[in-house]
Amino acid sequence: MELKEFNNQVHPTPDYPSPYSSQHSLRLRTVPAQDTSAVQCDWASPPEDAEDSNEPQNLRELPLHMSLKRAVWQVQQMKVPVVSSSWNIKQSKTFHRFCEVAKYILSYFVLWKRGIQRIGGHFGGGVQSYFLFLRFLVILNFLSCLLIAAFVLIPSIVFRSMSFNSTITLTVNLTDIETCLQYDPKPDPLMVFFTYFLDLVSGTGFMEYSYLFYGYYNNSVIESNGFSYNIPLAYLLTAAFYFLFCLICMIIRMGGTARLVIVTGGGAVGGYSMLVFTGWDHGLQGDRATKLKQNNLRHRLQVDLEEERLKKKAASLTLGQTVSLYALRVFLNLVVLILIGATLYGIAEATQFSQSRKTTGFVGLLLQYLPSMVITASNFVVPLLCDKISLLEKYSPSTTVILALLRAVFLRLVSLGVLLYTLWEQITCKGEINSENCTPCNYYHDQYKCWETRVGQEMYKLTLFDFLITIATLILVEFPRRIVVDHCSCKLTQWVGRQEFLVAPNVLALVYSQTVVWTGALFCPLLPFINTIKFIFFYYCKKITLFQNCQPATRNFRSTTSNLFFLLVLLFGWMLSSVVLLYSVAKINPSYGCGPFRFYTAMWEVVPGAVEMLSSTNKEFLFYIGSQKFSIPLFIFSCVLLCYVSALTSVHGKSVALLKSQCKLEQRDKQFLVRQIEELNATMQKLQHEPQQPQRETEPFYHAATQWNQHNNYAFDPHEDPKPY
Amino acid sequence: MRSGRDPCAFSRMDLFTRKKVQPTEPILIPHGELTFLTKQEILMAHKIFSELQDRENGPYSSRVSMEKIHTLPELKSNPFRKRICHVFSTSDMKDGSLSFEDFLDLLSAFSDSATLEIKSHYAFRIFDFDDDGTLDARDLEKLVNSLTGETDDTRLTGEEMRQLISNILEESDIDKDGTVNLSEFQHVISRSPDFVSSFKIVL
Repeated sequence: MELKEFNNQVHPTPDYPSPYSSQHSLRLRTVPAQDTSAVQCDWASPPEDAEDSNEPQNLRELPLHMSLKRAVWQVQQMKVPVVSSSWNIKQSKTFHRFCEVAKYILSYFVLWKRGIQRIGGHFGGGVQSYFLFLRFLVILNFLSCLLIAAFVLIPSIVFRSMSFNSTITLTVNLTDIETCLQYDPKPDPLMVFFTYFLDLVSGTGFMEYSYLFYGYYNNSVIESNGFSYNIPLAYLLTAAFYFLFCLICMIIRMGGTARLVIVTGGGAVGGYSMLVFTGWDHGLQGDRATKLKQNNLRHRLQVDLEEERLKKKAASLTLGQTVSLYALRVFLNLVVLILIGATLYGIAEATQFSQSRKTTGFVGLLLQYLPSMVITASNFVVPLLCDKISLLEKYSPSTTVILALLRAVFLRLVSLGVLLYTLWEQITCKGEINSENCTPCNYYHDQYKCWETRVGQEMYKLTLFDFLITIATLILVEFPRRIVVDHCSCKLTQWVGRQEFLVAPNVLALVYSQTVVWTGALFCPLLPFINTIKFIFFYYCKKITLFQNCQPATRNFRSTTSNLFFLLVLLFGWMLSSVVLLYSVAKINPSYGCGPFRFYTAMWEVVPGAVEMLSSTNKEFLFYIGSQKFSIPLFIFSCVLLCYVSALTSVHGKSVALLKSQCKLEQRDKQFLVRQIEELNATMQKLQHEPQQPQRETEPFYHAATQWNQHNNYAFDPHEDPKPY
Repeated sequence: MRSGRDPCAFSRMDLFTRKKVQPTEPILIPHGELTFLTKQEILMAHKIFSELQDRENGPYSSRVSMEKIHTLPELKSNPFRKRICHVFSTSDMKDGSLSFEDFLDLLSAFSDSATLEIKSHYAFRIFDFDDDGTLDARDLEKLVNSLTGETDDTRLTGEEMRQLISNILEESDIDKDGTVNLSEFQHVISRSPDFVSSFKIVL
C-alpha cells in the first residue's frame, strides 16, 4: 500500500476537503443540529477554541470554501451559547470591532500609502524599501522640527517680539575679552538682488542673523508672573532630546527588522526553498513588471547556483592558487585605501582653502561651496572605481555587493568627518588654546567671530548643495538619457540603456543627508525643517524619475536584510554626529559675541547652574540618579536581563531542533506501521483465503483496524458496507 | 445548498445584516465575519465582479469563466493565474470558473489582514500543480519554470534545474520522503519575512 493512500485513509480528514465529498458528508452530519462537536472536530482547523469570542477569527482562518464556512457558521449560530460568559464575549467582540475600525481610520493617515504601494507593484520590494525609508526619515524630521519649534523657536520669537527684560547674571570679568564681543552681522539694508541670492544660497548676510542660525538666539532668562523660561537651557536640552528621540525611533524600527532577521537566520539557511516558495510578488501588475521580476528571479537563482559551484571549486584550489588570490586581494584593498585617503586629503585641503579666502561675488560663492563640491565629486567617482576594482577581487557576487556598499558608506561618512575635523582645527587652532590666534577668547576670533554660525552655515551649504545636485542630475542627466535611448536606436545607446534605479546608492545619499542634518542641528535649529521639505521634494522627484526614466535593476538586495543594513548605517551616522554634539557642548568655548551660551566657558555649564536653582529634594534626586549608587545596580540589572533573554533564545533554538528530529522520527514510525499493516494484511489474506465466500478485500483491513491492540474500535461496524465517503 | 442563487441579490440587500427577504430565501451571512475583507473591499469586489458578469453573454450567470477573471489587471500577467482560479473554484465542471463567493475567498486569502496560516495553505495548493497533496520534483520543476518564465530562453538549464531541485528538497524535506508536504512548506514559509507582504493582491 502506498504511503499516500495510507495518509488519506488513516487520518479521518484530508488536508483540504473537496467541496463535493464534504457536502455529502455535511448533509449526513448536520442532521443532528445540536451535536456540533463532531462538525468542529472534523475539519483540519488550527487549535480549537471553545470560547465563542474567538469564533469569527476561527472561521476566517479556516482554509475552506465560502459555502463550507457558511455552513459551519450556521451550525454555530444554532448552538445555544454558554450563559455564564456572555457579557465577556460581548465586551471582547465590541473591542475587536473597535480595533478594526480604529485600524481602518488610521490607515487613512498613513502618508503616501497608495503611491508607495503602486511603486512596489511596478518595481518590486527593493525599490519600495527605499521609499519606505524615505517616508520614515520625513516623519522623523517633521516630528523633530515640531519639537524644536515648540521649545526653542516659538519662545524665542515670542520673547523677542515682546522684548521682555531678561535677567542674566554676569559673573565674568568683561575687560579681558572685549575683542571677543565684537560681532556685527547686521545686513546692509540696501542690497543688490544678486547679493541677496548669494546670501540666500550661502547662509551669509541677511540669512546669517536670523532664526536660521545659532547666533541670533539670545541668552535670555525670562521671568515674569511666576513663569520662568531659560532659553539657553531649553536650547541645550531640546538638542539633547532631539538626538535621543531619533535614537529611540531608529531602535524601534530596527527592532522589528532585526527580530525577523534573527528568526530567519539571516536568510542563509533555506535560501533556495525560501526564494522559490516566497519569491513571487503577487502584487505586481503589468507584463513589463512581471517579465522583469521573472528575469530578476532567474538571475538570482543562477547567481546562487553559480556561487555554490564556485565555492565547491574554491574549496578545491591548490595552495599556490589560494596564496596568490589572497595576495591579490590584499593589494587591491591597499589600492582602495590609498584612493580613499587621497580623497580625504583633498577634502581637507579644499576646506582649509575655502575657509581662508574671503572673496565676494560669484567666485566667492564657488569658493564657499568648494568642500561640498569635492565631497560630492568624490562620492560619485570613488565608488565607481571601487566597483571596477572589486571585479578583480573574485569574491562571490553577494560578497562583492556588500563590500562595495561598505566602502561607499565608509567614504561618505569619513569625508564628512574630515570636513568637521578640518573646521575644528581651524576654530580651535589645532586644539592649542594658548596659541597666538586663540589667546583671548579660546577660539580663533579673527576669522570666526561666531564659530557656531559658521559651522551651521557649512552644514546648511552641504544640505543645499546635495539638494541642488540631485535635482540637477534628474533634469540634466536622467531625462535626456531617456529621450536619447528611446529615440536613437544605435548600438551604443542600447548598450547603455535606460537608467537603473539602484537602491543602495540612493539610500546612502539619504543617510548622508540625515547625518549632515544631525550634525548641524545644534548650530542651525531650522535645519530639520529644511530637510523635511527637501525629503518631500525628493519623494516626488524620485517617483517621477522612477516611472518616467528608469527600469528596475536586475540585481537586487533582499529587501529585509538591506533594511537592517541601512538602519545600521543610519545609526552609525547618528553616532558620528552625537560625537560632534558632545564634543562641542563639553569642550569648545562658546562664542562671546553671539548665541545663547555667551559668557559660559562651555555650553554644558548651563545645566549645573539650572540644577542649583532647583529645590533641594529635586536636586538630591537628580544627584542620586547621576551617582554611582544608582548607575552600577542599573548596569548589573540590564546585564542580567540580557543574559536571560539570550538564554531564552538558545532554549528556543534547541526546542526547534528537537521538534525537527521528532518530525523525522514520526515519519519513520509511520513507515514502520505501514509495513506492519501490509504484513498483517498479507497474513490475514493467506489465512482466510477461501474461494466460495465472497469476501471484500478490504474487510481484513477493517477487521484488523477494529482489533487494534486488542481493543475493539466500534466506529467501524465490520458488517456494514463501507460507504463511499 | 446555495447553487443557482442570483448573485445580483447581493446588491439588493445589506451584506451585513441578517435580512430574510422572502420566506424561502436563505439567510444571508455577514461576509465580513467569514473573510478578512473590510466592508469597502467587499463592495468594491462586488462592483468589479458585476462588471465581469456584464461582459459575459446571456443573462446573469452565477459564475464567471476563468478567461474573464484573467482579464483583471491584477491577474493578467500573474504566471499562477490558472492555478489560482482552479484552487478557489468550486465549479462542478472543474473549469476554474468563479462564483462571487469564490472571488471573495480569493480576495480574502490574498488580502492585507489574512493570517500567515491561510496564505501558506493556499500558496501550497497553488503550487501543487498535480493536486496530489504534496510538492514532488515535477511540481517543483513546473513551479520554477513559472517563476523564471515559460519560454525556452528564460528557463534554467537542465543541469541547473536538477541542482536547484535537489537543493530545495535537501533544505525543506525534513522527513526525507522526496516530497514537500504542507507542514514542511509552512515551516519554510514561517521563516520568511517577505511572504505575507508579497502574497497580496489589492484591487
